[in-house]
Amino acid sequence: MKDEERIDRALDGQLSPKEWEALQTAVIHDAALRQLYVERALLHGQLRAERELLTRLIEDDFAPIALSRPRFWLPAAWAAAAAIVTGLIVFHLRPVNPIETVATLAEAKGCKWAGSDLPTSEGSRLGAGRLALVEGMATLKFESGATITLEAPSTLHVLSKMHCRLIEGSLVADVPESAHGFTVDTDNMQVVDFGTRFGVTANTFGNSQVLVFEGEVEVNRNGHDARRLTTGNAVHVGDPPPHDQEVTRSTPTGESRDGWLTATTATGRGKDAYVRRGDAHGPTGAHPLLMVKHTELAANNERRIFLTFDLSNMPLRNAVEAELTLDVEPSGLGFSALVPDSRFSVYGLLDDSLDNWAESEVIWNGAPASLDGGLDLQSVTKLADFEIRRGAPPARVIISSAELLQFLRSDRNSLATLILIRETGEFDRQGLVHAFASKEHPRAFPPTLRVKPAEHP
Amino acid sequence: MPESVPSNDAESYLRLLNAHERSLAAYVHGLVPSMADADDILQECKIVLWKQFAEFEPGTHFLAWARRIALNLILNHRRSLHRRAAAPIDEQFIRSVACEIDRNSDHLERRAEALRLCLEKLSKPHRQAVFWRYFEDCEIAEIASKSNRSEGATYRLLSRIRQILNDCVTKTVNAGTV
Repeated sequence: MKDEERIDRALDGQLSPKEWEALQTAVIHDAALRQLYVERALLHGQLRAERELLTRLIEDDFAPIALSRPRFWLPAAWAAAAAIVTGLIVFHLRPVNPIETVATLAEAKGCKWAGSDLPTSEGSRLGAGRLALVEGMATLKFESGATITLEAPSTLHVLSKMHCRLIEGSLVADVPESAHGFTVDTDNMQVVDFGTRFGVTANTFGNSQVLVFEGEVEVNRNGHDARRLTTGNAVHVGDPPPHDQEVTRSTPTGESRDGWLTATTATGRGKDAYVRRGDAHGPTGAHPLLMVKHTELAANNERRIFLTFDLSNMPLRNAVEAELTLDVEPSGLGFSALVPDSRFSVYGLLDDSLDNWAESEVIWNGAPASLDGGLDLQSVTKLADFEIRRGAPPARVIISSAELLQFLRSDRNSLATLILIRETGEFDRQGLVHAFASKEHPRAFPPTLRVKPAEHP
Repeated sequence: MPESVPSNDAESYLRLLNAHERSLAAYVHGLVPSMADADDILQECKIVLWKQFAEFEPGTHFLAWARRIALNLILNHRRSLHRRAAAPIDEQFIRSVACEIDRNSDHLERRAEALRLCLEKLSKPHRQAVFWRYFEDCEIAEIASKSNRSEGATYRLLSRIRQILNDCVTKTVNAGTV
């Protein structure tokens, strides 16, 4: 008889006393057999423990009407005993729902969903399945006590009350002690919680990141030893973002279809870059993303964006309208749950001599009109501000103001430099870094300035 | 005692129990062959856990603590059986199996999660057989008569289902999807 069969027979009570004793002795002395026995015995035990699931499966099979009556209640004796121990233990008296709830969609304000096979209205009870959030932020409360805030755009597979899988996007998990062991998978790693708040991001290019806000997690990756991560630490798995994209530079252009004139940061002598306090990564002029962040919690994460447009061939003197267009892109850094709706300001650089900054050299120290604590307000003028809502999907931001128009009209050296800063700080050091496409971005549009010339008489 | 325990203790007990109840049940059912005995032990265990909850150190592993208490109850239960009839299982055997479970706790929890996914994939006739055997606690002979099979065929069917489940669980765990 094979070992597996011998064990199964034992668990079914089919072995003779003698065979049973022989098996017990063998299990005590043979480590490999003991391991096999434990796996089989627990499979057997788990099948008995899965009464709710078994009831549901059978009801699914044989009762086409979804809402059949619960087939059984928790053992009455336990319920009664619990009631004697304390009146507080009342929820054990409730009949067991035949369709097992794994989590509840606790908050889903302003959410838009696509391709989900779970209900998406607020308060819905969720079984295992898929959620695809395209806009907004949704909060899921798992039965284990873990809470997940999902940020659009994200796709999440809910697997059990202790387990989910982030296909893409980002989430922040709050895990109380009752849910120690709560696990979030991505394509290339697994994060097991040990009582924490942590965030996970994943994108479809195989990049994943985990950040521990508080507490401790274990990170498992194929081919690597498990690694413990504590408060404030992060692991990034995957390729760094692409650098040195080819940029197709255009010459200063004529009119577009609707009579507006356009210049991008790839036009003529145009340029774009961001700087970060501390300059740990050197000049960023060739980066596909322009990142901006304001924080009072982690000084070296402060970032500002510089854009210069080549205005030659743009007859601005009589222009009647001007607008700046930016494509919002996910930065893959930080979590929007930790940043409120964010305000941004656009400043114009007044000192023409400072327009000559170089993309390959610009860093925090010595960036145009920049002091460490803020912009040098003698050298800049505020042109506009705008807001990006928390959890807003990547979109195009169009900024237009009389001040912007006036600033462009008064230009004298055919170069206009705009500086973009975020005014809004964050609740937590791991708050979102906002990003816009730069001219090096492979798909999105570069920062673009559009000007409407004077109406022809 | 209930009066002296602050209500948030009851709440955290319930949260912890709720989170680990299934694992605890699997543990007891895995170590106690009789389903009725295992159910009795589990009920008793939950009451003991609550009575001793003040001794549980927050931040430590609730399931490990609960398993220790359950193991004592299982051994006590075995000793009481021993006085009545022939001991079904040897104490040393139970201890060595229990110790192996503690040692492989995480791996076994992953297998338990995988099992849930695998159960969903079973065919209807297989689910029905599992339901009779594990939910209704039917003997092989009863399942045989319910499903119009011989006892031998029923036994082979159950073995095959367990093999399917076991293979699926192993595959799922190895694939890292749980």
